[in-house]
Amino acid sequence: MPSVLNIKKGVEEGLRLFLESLLREKKVAGVFTLRKTNDEGAAAYTLITDPEHMQQAVPLYPLMPMNAGKALSSHTLGSASEAPLAAIVRPCEMRAFTELIKREQGHRDNLLLISVSCAGVFPLSSLSNGTLSQELPDYWESAQNAEIPAFLRPTCAACEHFLPFQADITVGVLGQKELNKECNLFLNTTKAEEMAEGAPGSITSGELETPEIQAVRKERMAERRKLFEPFTAQDYGLSGLVQTFAPCLSCHGCSTICPICYCTLCDFDSKTHEYQPTSYSIELDQKGGMRIPPGTLFFHTGRMVHMAVSCVNCGMCSDVCPVNIPVATIFSKVGDALAEEFEYVAGRDAEEELPLGTYKADEYSDIGE
Amino acid sequence: MKEKGKPATQDISPKNSFMSASYPAGDGFAKAIRAVLTKALDDQVFEAVMMPLKVPKTEAFAWTLLDDTKLLEHASPLPPVMTIQGGKALSELTKHGELIERTAVLLRPCETRAAVELFKLKQINLENITLISIDCPGAVPLSDYLSDPENQARKFQDLMEENGDEDALRPVCRICDKFSIPAPAEGGMEEGGHAADVHIGFLGQKGKRLLLFPLTEKGRTLVEGLGLKAESPENSWETAVQTMTDARRKNRQAFNKDFLSRISGPDPFSEMFDACINCHNCMRACPICYCQQCYYDSEAIRLPSENYLERAKKRGGLRFPLDTLLFHLGRMSHMVLSCVSCGACEDACPASIPVGQIFSLVGDQTQSSFEYVPGINRLQPLPLQAFREDEFCEVEIPCECGEGQAPSEVNKNA
Repeated sequence: MPSVLNIKKGVEEGLRLFLESLLREKKVAGVFTLRKTNDEGAAAYTLITDPEHMQQAVPLYPLMPMNAGKALSSHTLGSASEAPLAAIVRPCEMRAFTELIKREQGHRDNLLLISVSCAGVFPLSSLSNGTLSQELPDYWESAQNAEIPAFLRPTCAACEHFLPFQADITVGVLGQKELNKECNLFLNTTKAEEMAEGAPGSITSGELETPEIQAVRKERMAERRKLFEPFTAQDYGLSGLVQTFAPCLSCHGCSTICPICYCTLCDFDSKTHEYQPTSYSIELDQKGGMRIPPGTLFFHTGRMVHMAVSCVNCGMCSDVCPVNIPVATIFSKVGDALAEEFEYVAGRDAEEELPLGTYKADEYSDIGE
Repeated sequence: MKEKGKPATQDISPKNSFMSASYPAGDGFAKAIRAVLTKALDDQVFEAVMMPLKVPKTEAFAWTLLDDTKLLEHASPLPPVMTIQGGKALSELTKHGELIERTAVLLRPCETRAAVELFKLKQINLENITLISIDCPGAVPLSDYLSDPENQARKFQDLMEENGDEDALRPVCRICDKFSIPAPAEGGMEEGGHAADVHIGFLGQKGKRLLLFPLTEKGRTLVEGLGLKAESPENSWETAVQTMTDARRKNRQAFNKDFLSRISGPDPFSEMFDACINCHNCMRACPICYCQQCYYDSEAIRLPSENYLERAKKRGGLRFPLDTLLFHLGRMSHMVLSCVSCGACEDACPASIPVGQIFSLVGDQTQSSFEYVPGINRLQPLPLQAFREDEFCEVEIPCECGEGQAPSEVNKNA
């Protein structure tokens, strides 16, 4: 049973106090967390170095303006952070960071990674249509009761990995009673225990994986099956894909925002996929008509081939899509199938090797001779 | 340029008469266009068409290059929404050189103007292309259409019949005064200057007919190839276009005044972009942003990661992703002189930032200081590529026109 730092404050305020104390005592040089950027509810990830600024931090704000794994990667791309930093990220953001580290896009050393038992986030559109500010009290109520409210992003409502893998500290949120009075920080590593020494609050012990949490997981798995239902291979197939991606604007926002799509130059933005006048003429001759720009579905299926095994189902791609294509649902369905195939869960374990980076002599012998 | 230094006119209303040929449209606008295109393809007036088609079994529209007239059954010459900006689609098609097939391209007026800018920027080859623009009432916001396609399509149909509610349109469409044939107020357009080769007008015709306006040599060949003759100017069309132009221009002035007061100054401007998540969808949707590698996505502005903490310490905190505002300001300075106010950026923004309105306003201000209206005249060079001796002399002291001011005075007056 891990030790728990119990702070007698509301969960977000308690966490803020803890982070502020880390900054004040110079245990960390900076805290990477969400901060409100306006009164309408917009928020952005911010690296805070001044403890006075911690008051503006909203570490548990249920909005994902970008996948934090991507931000942590850009910060630790060349080498590990020189100074110790604390980062508060959601479980899928942690998983994305882990996948990026495996792809040599970041370093974990010198980071205190704090995650949460995650109640999900609102879709980005809820910011402009006012749902977020309107439903925020309900969000916390549902989090406390371990329920799935209707206003969550579809991927969050159907997420089974809402407990973080390999976080130093897990902030208890989902199903924790009295969120407005108590903040429980589960200290999962020795580093976390050292950091908690001298922090406000008292040390107790506790377990995150309660029967209640297991019940939520079951419920979310059921949601997941429901979410995937319209996309079964028999009824859906290629024509289904063509129809789903028909409104695509080729803005490639899904790829730009995807934490796993780290390529500096995407293959599908490169010369490789550019058409010459003769290629148009040949295709026109063969088919009588073609979509311009060509290769819409090729881009999506190609991107899928490149990254789906590492897809952490964070939902950023769906959030950013200007034509409401359920990109995340389709990608995470494929991601699930790959996870089963390779017995691999993206971002579960930093030591686990990427399936396509590993050669196993006994693998797929059925398609050999 | 024939006359060096000749300023472009700001008045783009069709004060001069255009000759038009008429084509019956009793069975509806789309059917009439389909009939014209079918005849043109059958008679080899041109060999292929690029235009929007409705994707079967969906509510989506997609640009399609076709030579099979059977596909015209799905043709949607003026869809209720702008999907990909047509100028951008045309650039995809022709940026690597002249097309093999002689191809007609149907575009909205703002898409035509974007195409002209891209042509000037050498991103479009017009050699084998006949540009056809169409009177355009505007487009509904993409997000509105996606949430209720049927209802929005009906609202758009009402607007096509000149009997609709303009509030259903995108904000930039409501203030668009270049929805038909933009042309100089006086003296007419130089031969070969017009944006489109042929313009199709339907305003003021009560759904009875299309008007085909040949505007260039290519356009005349096309209209003649269809067996039509452009004979007379059409008063009913001219009146309808002029009325709409006046109303839209009034909207635009009111909008510019109001929006300018809300956006002026560093704080209000930066607050506009508070919700930006740096996805760069605006740039990817923008027809003018053609760079293969955007400067703001390049290594040039990427900091070594050790600098992040130093930068954060200077102000107590550092926002991620970095330099969101710098991206928008930089993109603006790179493309705003060619901004055609098409609104594709705003449609593509997942955070509902009024980016199209912002760029349109700034475009108006900067373009007018260069006396440049993007996309209306193929022969007019891009302002930053044309040197004019007498230009901006007021920033020099002493200056020729006598309006030069010392910097201290400029500040006082500002």
